[in-house]
Amino acid sequence: MTMAEGKPNFRVVERLKIKIGDAKNLGKGHSSLRDGHCTITLDQEEIFRTATIEKAIDPFWGEEFEFEIPRRFRYLGVCVYERDRPLGRVTVRRDQLTSFNDKDHWFPLRPLNVESEVQGKIHIEIEFGENRGRLGVRLNEACELAITNGNCDPFADVTVRYTNDKTETQRTKVKKKTNSPVFDEAFAFTLPGLSGIHKQHIVGQTPTADWAELIVTLYHEISSSNTVFLGQVTIPLQGRTVSAWYFLQPRNRKSSLREDQGFNYPSVGSLRLKIHYTADHVLPSHNYERLKHLLLNSHAVVPTTASTVYLLGEIIPNKIDSAQPIVRILLHHGQIIPTIKALAYWEISKVTDANTIFRGNSLVSKMMDESMHISGMRYLHETLRPPLERLLAERRPCEIDPARVKDTTVISHNLANLKIYVEDVFKAITTSALKCPTVMCQLFHTLKEVAIKYFPENKEIKYSVVSGFIFLRFFAPAILGPRLFDLTKEQIDSQTNRTLTLVSKTIQSLGNLVCSRSNFKEEYMSSMYQSVYTEQHVTAVRQFLEIISASAGPEECTQDTPVTLKEGMLTKRAQGRKKFGRKNFKQRYFKLTTRDLSYAKQKGKESLCTITLSDILAVERLQQESFNKNNMFQIIQPERILYIQANNCVEEKEWVDLLTKMCFSNNKRLTLYHPAAFINGTWLCCKSNNERTKGCQEVSTSVDHIQTSSVDVDRELSRIHALCVTHIDRFDSVLKACECKAVYPGDRLCLPILIEDPKTTFITLSTLREIIYTLEQEHRTVLRTIARETKYGSKQAPIGDDNYLLLAGRKDLSAHHQKVW
Amino acid sequence: MALGNKLSSRFAYTTQQELTRHRRAITQAPNHPLPTYKLVVVGDGGVGKSAITIQFFQKMFVADYDPTIEDSYIQHTCVDDEFCVLDVLDTAGQEEFSAMREQYMRKGDGFMIVYSVTDPNSFKNVPNFFTQILRVKDRDEYPILLVANKVDLVHLRKISESEGRAMANRLNLPYMETSAKDPPQNIDGAFHEVVRIIRNHPKELSEDRRRRRPKCLIM
Repeated sequence: MTMAEGKPNFRVVERLKIKIGDAKNLGKGHSSLRDGHCTITLDQEEIFRTATIEKAIDPFWGEEFEFEIPRRFRYLGVCVYERDRPLGRVTVRRDQLTSFNDKDHWFPLRPLNVESEVQGKIHIEIEFGENRGRLGVRLNEACELAITNGNCDPFADVTVRYTNDKTETQRTKVKKKTNSPVFDEAFAFTLPGLSGIHKQHIVGQTPTADWAELIVTLYHEISSSNTVFLGQVTIPLQGRTVSAWYFLQPRNRKSSLREDQGFNYPSVGSLRLKIHYTADHVLPSHNYERLKHLLLNSHAVVPTTASTVYLLGEIIPNKIDSAQPIVRILLHHGQIIPTIKALAYWEISKVTDANTIFRGNSLVSKMMDESMHISGMRYLHETLRPPLERLLAERRPCEIDPARVKDTTVISHNLANLKIYVEDVFKAITTSALKCPTVMCQLFHTLKEVAIKYFPENKEIKYSVVSGFIFLRFFAPAILGPRLFDLTKEQIDSQTNRTLTLVSKTIQSLGNLVCSRSNFKEEYMSSMYQSVYTEQHVTAVRQFLEIISASAGPEECTQDTPVTLKEGMLTKRAQGRKKFGRKNFKQRYFKLTTRDLSYAKQKGKESLCTITLSDILAVERLQQESFNKNNMFQIIQPERILYIQANNCVEEKEWVDLLTKMCFSNNKRLTLYHPAAFINGTWLCCKSNNERTKGCQEVSTSVDHIQTSSVDVDRELSRIHALCVTHIDRFDSVLKACECKAVYPGDRLCLPILIEDPKTTFITLSTLREIIYTLEQEHRTVLRTIARETKYGSKQAPIGDDNYLLLAGRKDLSAHHQKVW
Repeated sequence: MALGNKLSSRFAYTTQQELTRHRRAITQAPNHPLPTYKLVVVGDGGVGKSAITIQFFQKMFVADYDPTIEDSYIQHTCVDDEFCVLDVLDTAGQEEFSAMREQYMRKGDGFMIVYSVTDPNSFKNVPNFFTQILRVKDRDEYPILLVANKVDLVHLRKISESEGRAMANRLNLPYMETSAKDPPQNIDGAFHEVVRIIRNHPKELSEDRRRRRPKCLIM
């Protein structure tokens, strides 16, 4: 959203995350709320709606909404409804939103009919005459008034209050069918004690009271006796001539100047909300170049603990706050893999128990989470939607805990139901390996390598490290709360919720490959585990984990028994390994494992040829003209090319996709290849006569390529800047600690964070601090310019709320300036 | 009913089925005198929440790590010569499941916040759990026990007892050091301590009951 017209070099991005928890004391006595739901509104406009809770005394929604705010607004509202009847509303003014950030708060629910929330603005002119004895008030126009039941027939009452508390009111005409009425009416008032307005001379008379305030109240007229309050403006009368726009305010502006609006209205209960509101001021890209460079260079800094990313993760108290923008920037610039690799090496070096690597909430796990979230959402949806759709459509009972059912005889039946759903989801996941986004695969591969290097004797770690992310942190939470992951919009009743929990638990344990050992956990689950934890399932999980973390690096070859991924009969052309062999086509039994591709005369026979995956430079389709055969593909190796014909197009695709996936992270992967064969001394495709010439076509990229173009890098950088400004005092304490440590290396000082190399850490941090400082200067200059150019009281910046153009950010930043700079 | 006899037989349950039969008996008898305490074990991933819970219920140490999504256990216990039913919920530590956290925080009568003395990150996260419980409960204090687990790993220890106690003092929580590894240290003690803390918070229970009765509107 570009805020300042003619100033495209500065934008404000507002983002709001709001979680609706539970409501209590809804004033319904002991009876429960029936069919209760909540809506979220910006001013009067509903933007989201929660699920309906059928029956509860203290209803709990537990739903989270996150969105970019597309327009200006004054109030955020959350309203609790019983069926269609509104029970109460929480209203928070925009400029107060930041004060609630990050923590749960219980907000009082106010009745809705108290006119606590109004919208619109009005243009008023005030002029004093005859030595302050007379007052002229002119109502020009109003706009954006609230529309009641589709109607708006507004009129205004113009009231003057005197210091003796007497008032005088005059009224405008009613304007029909408009919420932007042009009144264009003038009103005259005279101080009490002075002669009426018709007298010409008032000199020599002494007024009995002075002007106190002007109150303009707008109403919508339903009938001559029935009106609806639309808003009010109260202006102190201090003898100055005024012509300005004012925001309409709720009634009793005076009392509502206290912290929350409508304080004097009775509460009808409380609602727990967690709000996170950010308003980022984004400058033009060139301002962020140095910050970006520092971030992207993190992986190259030695030691890792002196790198920008690590330090940001340590200094910003909430890791997810820093991980989010960092991951987006790194993904966009293709630096996520080396950065996570460096951090993972460092983290794992501190781990003592191979069982618990990456299981805590560390920077690596947060960054992995965020990466999977950004790059894997479509994959998640493609994979889980079909099985969950069935589950949600059928909603068969699946409770197998004897303590939770009335009649234990249904358990065997429920177990069968549960098994069906688990198998559905399990199959969907384990057959989805090829669809797993490349970035995720590369990340898994990286972490696997790191883990194997540190715990070479642990045979299971290469699986557990990957399953700890893909199952535990990706699929299991999504199965548990499909609404949170946008997998469904449907309401989920408690029985279905329980089913999802059971499915999630089983899938997680299956993925973790320790089901057989889970017997000492809940007893009733063991029957479930036993029935699904078969040899076949274990193999499926292993294959899946192997493919999504595939690599054919040389170190892989030293691993224990490879896992077979695919096998079957194919026709291949002789590779010409023997000098005088004929280049004929023969049927062979192919087998692809995590280590190599091999073929034999028949299944179970000794292999005739084995190609290590690291020797596969590319796998591509072959043009039909080459051998006049269809469904052909080629496996390009350093010395020769193996041409293979599959039995049908489906098989061809399966082999090509799987092989491509397995060899994708090969260091030696080609960039160019020949789409046709070299026959009789010529490449059929490019007609080159040199067999060793480079290819003439680019190799296929993986099917998926994450949509990082949608990442707004400048915005993410400005987010990091804002975070740093907020926590700049922590920078200083770490910098001080670096100095101390450099001087007294032996002392076990109480350090705010771990500092391995005080000098390098100091350099990184002071550079970062300097960049933040420069950026902040730039921000302040821009803000000052805008402040100077904006007229308070103009239509764009009416009087009444915080000036919108300066937004919440200004308050934050200037508060910190005083402290820091 | 035969229930009375059974209860006096000291609840030496050998199988979970027997336990669950009991649980049903209890939940189905509305006037049953035994109070049920819902304990929730929270803390970061990999700190040993399940190990503690399993050690308490099954009297064994599980070395394998199978991350928990949500497991519940139930058992009769005698704490300070008073019988009660302990309904323990073992939870997921990974923040991916934090959306579910609120749900069980709403239901818990008492909490154990567990951290591992070998993992500074898990220690740093303690205040987050603490504030979230208080916020969800809308209280200034609540029955919560701070548990420092894995104290058997002396050579790997990163968070000292004094640091742990300082944190407990700051949050105004009782503190206990445990080890779920055999021989277990303080495992029963920790669970019993939470029960004692809950019992010493009589307000909460009456508050809880009051909710079900017609109530006057007090804000």
